[in-house]
Amino acid sequence: MDVITHLAAGFGVVFTPVNVLVLVIGLVLGMLVAVLPGLTLVMGVVLALPFTYKMGVAPALILLTAMYVSGTYGGAITSILFRIPGEPMDVPLIWDGYEMTRQGNAALALGWSLVAAFVGGIVSAVVMVALAKPVAHIALSFSSPEFFAIVFFGLASVVTLSGTSLVNSLISLCLGLLIATVGVDSIYGAERFAFGLPFLLDGLEFLLVMVGAYGIGEVLTRMNTGFASEGHAESKDGRFRTAFPKLSQMLRMKATFARGTLSGMIVGVVPGAGATVSAFVAYGLEAQYGKNGKALGTGAPEGIVAAKSAATASVGGAFVPLLAMGIPGSGATAIILAAFLLHGIQPGPQVFVSSPELINTVFATVFASVIGMCILGYVAIKPLCRVLDAPEAIVSAFVVVFCFVGAFAQRNSLPDLYVISIFGLLGFLFERFRFPLAPLVLGTILGPLAEGNFMTTMVSFDNDWTVFFTRPISGTILALSVVGLLWPVGRAAWARYRKANLDEQPGTP
Amino acid sequence: MPTRLRQVLPHGVMLLAAVFLYWAATLIDVDTGGRIGPAVWPKTIIVIMGLLCAYEVVKRLVSDAPGEVRALGVPEGEGGGAKGLPEHPRKLFGGIALIAAYVVAVPWLGFFVTTALFLAAFPWVAGLRRPVLTAALGIAGSLALVVVFMRIAYISLPFGEGPFRALSLALLRAIGF
Repeated sequence: MDVITHLAAGFGVVFTPVNVLVLVIGLVLGMLVAVLPGLTLVMGVVLALPFTYKMGVAPALILLTAMYVSGTYGGAITSILFRIPGEPMDVPLIWDGYEMTRQGNAALALGWSLVAAFVGGIVSAVVMVALAKPVAHIALSFSSPEFFAIVFFGLASVVTLSGTSLVNSLISLCLGLLIATVGVDSIYGAERFAFGLPFLLDGLEFLLVMVGAYGIGEVLTRMNTGFASEGHAESKDGRFRTAFPKLSQMLRMKATFARGTLSGMIVGVVPGAGATVSAFVAYGLEAQYGKNGKALGTGAPEGIVAAKSAATASVGGAFVPLLAMGIPGSGATAIILAAFLLHGIQPGPQVFVSSPELINTVFATVFASVIGMCILGYVAIKPLCRVLDAPEAIVSAFVVVFCFVGAFAQRNSLPDLYVISIFGLLGFLFERFRFPLAPLVLGTILGPLAEGNFMTTMVSFDNDWTVFFTRPISGTILALSVVGLLWPVGRAAWARYRKANLDEQPGTP
Repeated sequence: MPTRLRQVLPHGVMLLAAVFLYWAATLIDVDTGGRIGPAVWPKTIIVIMGLLCAYEVVKRLVSDAPGEVRALGVPEGEGGGAKGLPEHPRKLFGGIALIAAYVVAVPWLGFFVTTALFLAAFPWVAGLRRPVLTAALGIAGSLALVVVFMRIAYISLPFGEGPFRALSLALLRAIGF
């Protein structure tokens, strides 16, 4: 009952006229960035951040949360209709959604996608509300070794789930952690890696790293591969509509909805594994365990439902560690963390006590955004498809300017423009040489938290590092992190062993 | 450049950076009274990074077909060269030069003029050869951004120096600021 009362208070904040306007703007912008060529969801949320500097904290969080939620849907439309995934998370939708379009069932494919997004989003929002407070209560009893272990787990999972070379992921993470050490250290006031440059004494804001690496880095990467100078001709094909499946059809697919939503939420909770990993994991699970798994890839609605419900469900999952422990579960929640911090609020267990109204506002925004996203996804297909006509070169020029304004406006510092340009170049080089960016960025964000808790523990426990392993909670979490890190190594060794055994068998070519 | 050298170049550069940073970390000097010092954390990370880079360099130098332990999950995106797509180094260097020019010029020319020039030049360098469109886009786009950022979002952006400062101020007066 208490939860419903608090949630109602949150809706009270969201449904004031100004905040409703902000919510709608956020939903539209989220859809646009998910569809626009040359823009990703994370980039879009990054670019919106400067507009929140002068806002109150509630509208700032409403804007970014609405963008995050609706950004998980927009790309579904272009994937299904034109085989153009707006985001990596929409790639699985091509395999079945576009196949349905080719078979003449585009409207139904869009309907399945919308229903899946709605179910995944609402169910995960309910679970988020139910889980966040208990998790925060548990986190209140944690001490610095446990917090260090949780941050370490987050960093380890980012590395493990990066999808590229494990060594490169670890190097990227190390660099991110090192970037976070630049400036004056918080315990002794010692100067680190400032090299006599005054602006480095204040440290390198993680926002600059994010904006540079994700924004400018992505523009340079696309420039290197050549922009499409004109829009996509397909978007001029005008007959777009959505047809909902029958209730009996939906009920027949309840196991698929459940699998997709549950896997999306679980993967979403893990730091570093956002909507993209959720969508791919859910699709894989459906192919393996679904009743109609073998038909996936041939235009089966199960493929759409699994991937889309998981992608949207990951949003609620990603908010749990952010709100309860201050650890972002995805790139977009890292920027929402930045919005909290810019307004002087550190998310974590304490915020449930000090600013519960903000938490309730975020909860209510997620619910309102899921509903708003579905309405927008239903009525705005045609204009969203028209967005594909925007030449990528022009969009990218604006992206660069937005990046510069975002970097400059935070503290009116011109050297920050140099800093984001350098990180833009670094972001491009990372992409070019296949170093993942997520560990670098998450390392920069979580580095101070990791170092702070590590140092506090070492000082409090007389430099006894074994305390991390002897305390039950931190020991268990660290053991899980190590298993997670070694899992890809073990998997590769097992694959080599099996291959060697197969090669030795007589008659094998 | 020989293929093998090209293969070890990124990790070689990172290894050199790790060596340099370790040297810089040795300069962090504070009396901690026997407690753990502020250099321990960065030094530990640098050593791990250096060892990983050294491992990758050696592996690539001694192995004919360098295999890799892939992390789980989905790649967040790979560069054009990595995906085998054709690359456009001239466009890339043009883009980098324009970005560098923007950063250098904005304190002198101010936000409006620099942004107008950038918005006109960037699509041109990227291959959109429609001079009227890009010129119009530069002026209209920059004006729109001035209104959005300075008039609506109240963000203070560089005015420039000398005549450019006067132009920025006149523009702000014209939009009712």
